[in-house]
Amino acid sequence: MPPADPASPEGAALTVSEVAVRFGGVAALSEVSLSAQPGKVTGLIGPNGAGKTTLFNVISGLQAPDRGSVHLFDTDVTAMKPHRRARLGLARTFQRLEVFGSLSASENVQVGLESTVKWWEWRHLRRAVPWKRRSPATGSDGYDGAGDPGSTSLALATCDRLLEGVGLDGLGHVQSSNMSTGLARMVELARALAIGPKLLLLDEPGSGLDETETTALGDLLSKLAAGGMAVVLVEHDMELVMRICDHIYVLDFGDIIASGEPEAIRKDPLVQAAYLGDAPPQAAPGQSAPIKEAGADR
Amino acid sequence: MSNFLQYTVFGIMLGAGYAIAATGLVVTYTTSGVFNFAQGAVGMIAAFCYWELVVVERVPVVLALVIIMLVGAPIAGGLVERGLMRRLHGASPERPVMVTLGLMVILTGLAAIIWNPSTQRSVQPMVSGLFGFVGINIQYQEVLIIGVAVLVAIGLRALFYSTRTGYALRAVVDDPDLLAMSGASPNRMSQYGWILGFAMAALAGVLLAPTQTTGISIEAMTLLVVNGYAAAIVGRLRNIPVTFVAAIGIGLAENYVINYVLPHVPQSLVPDITLALPMVFLFIALVTLPSVRLRAVGRLTTMRAPRVAGGKESLVAGAIFFLLAVVVSVVFKSTQFNGTTILALGGIVMSLGIVALSLVLVTGYSGQISLCQFSFMGIGAFVMGKIAGGGSLLGLLAATVVCAGVGALIALPAIRLRDLYMALATFAFADAVATGFFPDSHIYGNGGVTVGRIVLPGLSLGSDTAEFLMVAAFFVLAAWMVLAIRRSLFGRRLVALNDSPAAYATVGLNIGFTKVAVFAIAAAMAGLAGALYGTVQGVVGTTDFDFFPGIIFVLFVTIWSIRTVSGAFLAALTYVVLNQLWPSGIGIFAGIGIILIGRAAGGILGIEAIQIHLPWVRRSPAGSVAPVVDPLAAAAAMGGGTRAAS
Repeated sequence: MPPADPASPEGAALTVSEVAVRFGGVAALSEVSLSAQPGKVTGLIGPNGAGKTTLFNVISGLQAPDRGSVHLFDTDVTAMKPHRRARLGLARTFQRLEVFGSLSASENVQVGLESTVKWWEWRHLRRAVPWKRRSPATGSDGYDGAGDPGSTSLALATCDRLLEGVGLDGLGHVQSSNMSTGLARMVELARALAIGPKLLLLDEPGSGLDETETTALGDLLSKLAAGGMAVVLVEHDMELVMRICDHIYVLDFGDIIASGEPEAIRKDPLVQAAYLGDAPPQAAPGQSAPIKEAGADR
Repeated sequence: MSNFLQYTVFGIMLGAGYAIAATGLVVTYTTSGVFNFAQGAVGMIAAFCYWELVVVERVPVVLALVIIMLVGAPIAGGLVERGLMRRLHGASPERPVMVTLGLMVILTGLAAIIWNPSTQRSVQPMVSGLFGFVGINIQYQEVLIIGVAVLVAIGLRALFYSTRTGYALRAVVDDPDLLAMSGASPNRMSQYGWILGFAMAALAGVLLAPTQTTGISIEAMTLLVVNGYAAAIVGRLRNIPVTFVAAIGIGLAENYVINYVLPHVPQSLVPDITLALPMVFLFIALVTLPSVRLRAVGRLTTMRAPRVAGGKESLVAGAIFFLLAVVVSVVFKSTQFNGTTILALGGIVMSLGIVALSLVLVTGYSGQISLCQFSFMGIGAFVMGKIAGGGSLLGLLAATVVCAGVGALIALPAIRLRDLYMALATFAFADAVATGFFPDSHIYGNGGVTVGRIVLPGLSLGSDTAEFLMVAAFFVLAAWMVLAIRRSLFGRRLVALNDSPAAYATVGLNIGFTKVAVFAIAAAMAGLAGALYGTVQGVVGTTDFDFFPGIIFVLFVTIWSIRTVSGAFLAALTYVVLNQLWPSGIGIFAGIGIILIGRAAGGILGIEAIQIHLPWVRRSPAGSVAPVVDPLAAAAAMGGGTRAAS
């Protein structure tokens, strides 16, 4: 029986209620309930194979739950397709990189920025005509073609700002499959931010980053939350999780075994036994606590 | 009642044959992740070898079976795995499709060289005679086929689920590295899978050969397994018992339709419906199959994206190309090659070039494999010939619109499913249209359809020169449009969809809509190309849009580069030239070419060593490697993303 959820679902950006998923005879998620509040960073931790990525897949619509429901604010999205959820303001990144490898970093972000633009509308089609493509400096159309790098349209300006924000300033032209894992993760993050999300799911964004980069990532996520966004973070780097999360859920073998504020989670004996192992309660700054390995992530 | 029982027994026998072929497909797919489009061709070769051994060489049936089943097929399967398939591990999804299609056209090409297609060849049942049972006559051959199919299904199920080798065979496709750590050899397991798959294909071919009442033919035997495709799809390419039951069901349904439904339809339609039945079953299978959920697989394209020419650049290049066409039209005005004028051949190159451009859009950019662009071409030419006297702009427009609609209809059942199913749906559509629709007397029949040259008020396009230049102008426009699409918002979306469907959906973009849209646009382009082809040829018929040339043409485009406009043109040019020089060997050339290209997804033009010698290819700035920098050092204050959309 999972412990009662201390986070009130009232006004929650995300409410997951009693979600269960089975793969054959294996219960990947058993009656999982949690919520995420706007303006807060919610952590979701647990050993490999605990079901964190499966839960993200259920929330984002890539995996249908056997039971339970998912609400984005007041909207029940349980049966909704992934692209419809995204249009409601849900964005995510992936544990295993899912960048558009053939596109440049800038084009990756533009795909996100343009996700609500109807491509068949005349004002976009006419941009195929070279002498019509350059948009006014104020960007009344808000969109420009990739073949016009000199443009100062709003879309490209926003694209540049997003790339700069994640530290990819000047790298917009680089094909994303040629980037290192750490940089490609930032492309993924910028693309997710480009859809203007109200709820952001991040699946191990810190993997592949060094200590300085991880610190900067933490600062960025805190700023995003301070701007009103609900951020849900799956991460194995305990120092990062403990530093930026307002509330943490601990998942083990498909069950929420604990939830609460970081300090309470750190001291929870159940969590220590299941996940933190024999690590000292206070992990040294910049040093991750050892993680219990329990097979591949589901 | 006795008729019903008789039809039922024959239906079960037919289904049993399909079941053997389908389980072979499942075995290969389960153990290698590759859907073997050459499965039917392997069965065809086995059937012809059996005929050669038993009928010509008078070898005893049992010895012939041993030679084919236990020696020839296993050796061929092992060699194919070792020589072709092993190199494809980790390649993009369309590569195995293209390579197995290449294998198919090589085998059919070789068969046509070895066994003259115009010779009638009949294969007698392995066991002759019949016996009475509850008032009906059952042939021993029927019992043999059903018995063998049941034994194969039970044996394979037992192998896969009750033996250590079976577990390893199933595991190899999921994670070969993990399998290697458990002590089994992934390569050996994969090889076993191909050996088994080839043996199953040969068995199906040998057993089904006697059921061909008009004798065995290369094309019919190769395509006989399309019903096996439907059964394998129902079994989701993995479940042998479900595949077996589905195959029996299809065999029964086919026989009931032939005996109970067809007597009530006009006699002229009977052959067409019979030939179209496999496609109907395949479509039913595709429609009823539950949607495949999107998976985040973390597959990162490692291919350098071809540089996309800018708007002005492509306009200039188009103008230069057209000027060259003008020069060609002047220099070769009355020159002939192989009895055809150079300008007529040039017109064919240009119209086929537009078909190749449609493949760049649908397969090169968006990753949807279409094997039926020749079918759209044929539909376009037919519409052009029938609308407004056969030579008007209205006909061109109608051909384009009709093909767009048909393309969308073809794409609809497959969009919920994986890309492989799109390839299968288009394969079946191309087969059904070429064998069941175009030959109909109401469509092309034996005489073909006359398509006049386009008449414009005040402009004469009747001469060969004017016709050639008009089709060249259309090619330039189509090439410019394809490049414009790639530069546009829609083009970015196509490439994004190809790279990561999961990410595509989670940024708020509708996968199904995009797939249908690109497929419809590509079909419209092929329809337009067909209409233009008709104006060049004057009279077009079934043979212009046959199934195998359509497949071979896709291979040509892939060999050169299915992602670039220059690749599309070179594919059309070499296809037409080789078709003039060596028509019977063009399939073998295409098959060998696609195999030599192997896993190089960029084709010949994508090979860097070749790129540096091409004057029109420049290195893409997007191809540069990112410098090592502190990725978050510049992290500035951000209040979240801002939508640019108005």
